[in-house]
Amino acid sequence: MNVVHGAATQAAGNVPLGGYLAVSGFLFLFGLVGVVTRRNPLLLLLSVELLLNSANVALVAFSRYWNDNGGQVFALVVMVVAAAEVVVGLGLVVAIFRNRLELDVDELSRLRG
Amino acid sequence: MGEKITFVVAALGAIIAGLLVVTLKNAFQAAVALIGTLVSVALLFLLLAAPFVAVIQVIVYASAIVVLFLFVIAYLGERTPPPAADRFEVGQPFVWLAICAIAAEGVVAFLNAGIHLGRRLATLGNGPDLGSPKAIGTSFLNRYLVPFEATSLILLAAAVGAVMLAKRGVQAEGGR
Repeated sequence: MNVVHGAATQAAGNVPLGGYLAVSGFLFLFGLVGVVTRRNPLLLLLSVELLLNSANVALVAFSRYWNDNGGQVFALVVMVVAAAEVVVGLGLVVAIFRNRLELDVDELSRLRG
Repeated sequence: MGEKITFVVAALGAIIAGLLVVTLKNAFQAAVALIGTLVSVALLFLLLAAPFVAVIQVIVYASAIVVLFLFVIAYLGERTPPPAADRFEVGQPFVWLAICAIAAEGVVAFLNAGIHLGRRLATLGNGPDLGSPKAIGTSFLNRYLVPFEATSLILLAAAVGAVMLAKRGVQAEGGR
């Protein structure tokens, strides 16, 4: 791992890893609070987007930290997962709406197949 | 120096817009605030020498996904929001318990990983080529071939699931 600690990564004046992780932590905190407190499924999905984005910030920051682009690759994979999640989530929201049910995740607590 | 200013602007933009996403009552306004977070995060990606991820973030996230959200919000119309009282009062101890548990878990994982928080990260231009489309594509097709194929399965499952949900919705309305 000593190769990683090259002169290029020590350039003065750049932002430390902790700064990026702090942003990631704040976004994760907001997303978590949103997921726990929101009742409208649409707004809940928006909070989930915040969670996934905070994970992406951390992944890309660590990718730079280790000089390994695995983090960037997995950030792209997370984006695919986010797209899939949004499609299914919004499909559920539309299905709930068409069935004339109330858009409130507290009310939608029963599953019937 | 310019990099630090850019970082502070992007970080503050991401955090303020994130706070708006969680606090705004109106779904449309919250979705627009999400664009602010996504673009700020794309700026952070640029600072982290990940131009390809930044571009995909803007194209896929800030455009496609947010437009999908806005379409659904527009489809549902004005009568969407139920009188969404804040659940914060009811769930408060559990919210804080969950946050503290996750924070503790993160701290433990961090201390075990031996990561130097203060180490400065190189930006675009200095250091090896990590974030170019070429480097990412090579990684996807060599080292990360299995995750790459797994994403195609995820997308297929999501597409089939969305079609099934939409079909059931049409049937519920009396259509075919």
